[in-house]
Amino acid sequence: MTDIRFYLILFAAAGLFSLLPLGLGDYHLHVMIVSLYYLMMASSWNLLAGYTGQVSFAHAAFAGIGAYTSGILAVKFGVNPWAGVIIGTAAASLLGLGVGVLCLRMGGIYLSLTTLGFSEILRIVITNEYDITRGTMGLQVPGLVEEYSKAAYFYIMLGAAMITLIVLYKLIYSNKGLCFRAVQNDERAAASLGVDVVKVRVLAFTVSSALAGLAGGLYGHYLHLITPEIPSLDQQFLVLSMTVIGGMGSFLGPVIGAFSLEILSEYIRAYGEYHVLVFGLIALVVARFAPNGLMGLAASRLPGGPAPAVTVPSTGKS
Amino acid sequence: MLALATMNGLVIGAIYALAALGVSLVVGIMNVINFAHGELYILAGYFSYILADTLGMHFVLAMVLAVALVFLFGIFVEYTLIRPTYGNDMYSLILTFILSIVLQNAYLLIFGPYPNKPPGWVGGATHVFGAFYYGNQRLAALVAGAVVIAFVFVLVKKTWFGRIIRATSQDREMAELNGVNTTRLNMLSFGLGCALAAAAGVILAPVFPVTPTAGVPVALTAFVVVVLGGMGSLWGCVVGGLILGLVENLGAAYISTGYKHVFNFIILILVLLVRPAGLFGRREA
Repeated sequence: MTDIRFYLILFAAAGLFSLLPLGLGDYHLHVMIVSLYYLMMASSWNLLAGYTGQVSFAHAAFAGIGAYTSGILAVKFGVNPWAGVIIGTAAASLLGLGVGVLCLRMGGIYLSLTTLGFSEILRIVITNEYDITRGTMGLQVPGLVEEYSKAAYFYIMLGAAMITLIVLYKLIYSNKGLCFRAVQNDERAAASLGVDVVKVRVLAFTVSSALAGLAGGLYGHYLHLITPEIPSLDQQFLVLSMTVIGGMGSFLGPVIGAFSLEILSEYIRAYGEYHVLVFGLIALVVARFAPNGLMGLAASRLPGGPAPAVTVPSTGKS
Repeated sequence: MLALATMNGLVIGAIYALAALGVSLVVGIMNVINFAHGELYILAGYFSYILADTLGMHFVLAMVLAVALVFLFGIFVEYTLIRPTYGNDMYSLILTFILSIVLQNAYLLIFGPYPNKPPGWVGGATHVFGAFYYGNQRLAALVAGAVVIAFVFVLVKKTWFGRIIRATSQDREMAELNGVNTTRLNMLSFGLGCALAAAAGVILAPVFPVTPTAGVPVALTAFVVVVLGGMGSLWGCVVGGLILGLVENLGAAYISTGYKHVFNFIILILVLLVRPAGLFGRREA
């Protein structure tokens, strides 16, 4: 995909999207805003899992870091929410850098274990430090705009989602992005060609954590209430299954996954809280039988479509 | 208080060791971490609850059956989900994580969020070392845990099957060249790993009732034990499990109960910083 084509498609899609508030009611706008949040989360998680082959279970936790940093600053110190979101993003990227340096030189399994532990610990700390975080009651935070309107938040989230997609596009289709995929396909071969494997992974992890922090910060101020639900493993699971079902390692996959699953979950909600179970079963089937997700299926159906990008199993232990 | 916290630490430490042995065995042989380990632990608790409480079986029979059922479930999971991912570690991580969330939500749907407790084995309390009274049920759990751990050690160190396990975890291709059917071994050892989680579950369920998400902290601790002890090391699991059990209970007694699982994470960070291969781990080439 050339740069011009990417920007054309992106801005055309964003232009169409920006017409939505004219035709949609509050409820449907809310669903769109939540979908945009998941789009940002799933796309940035995809950078890590789909392009460097590292599975982090702390992506929702980093969104929580962004949300709580910004929220606590606004509530306790009266910091402007916009500045808070930026500080929250910075905090998430710093923590991401720390966790990344700590466990990425060991790679694979260690990162997954540590990030799982990290998100569980974050949950415990948030629940226990009631005075600061209001625990499971949730922290009430001020909004981003003076006068509350769904349309304003929709445009804010749309803008943030565009920034996220542009950052990811720039990174993935640069030389660095080439290194990402080289590391994913064969670590040793990449290292032998002079790619600093650990540095590449840490870079991907830091960028992806920062983007999660940004998404979480904005989302928290939109909801006006930050609860331990944002950094929970259930949310992490939703982001993961959106990416897996949409298509891991493809640029569009998480975008499609985020919208389709969020909209689907609204339909399932009418029958009760079954959406996590249903998504889990769908994700299991997709990950097992179509590891490249919906995008992979589409690519194999269309003649002359791009070949699936990833998941050539390497031989032996890595 | 010190003696009581130490005793609690030993009991829970033995169970952590047992759960970690299951994880370690699977990591050593297949290089797969089963993130649904905690949910299998809970599954066994539910099975023993149904069999003993609802169907009225003798508790020993119920426990053995529960472990056997989870073993079969483990083999089924390996066959349907894990086997196609051989050589691609990332997908096995993702699949087992999804499986754990699916199981949690399935339990929630079937059993509800309420704690369920299979009947205890023994009642009363014993005066330990003339120092304090301690529940017989917990003492029995400690003994049962130690017995199962001893069984695993004999199985791995002394039997022909154990020799195959050790050979495969040292060098998979060489074991294949010597006629080991590694595919079948993977299936059996994954089932065995699940059965060990189940054993920990049925032993601990009468002490700590099972809820749909109660497996998460146990599994997390088991993972920390495996990293602390060194991936694939059996002794590492036992020593690491006891260390974490003691740290957790002493920390809860003297520092803060709310943060008892955080101490484990601090240990994990220290291990990763100072000695990433773990206490008994061998550095991989």
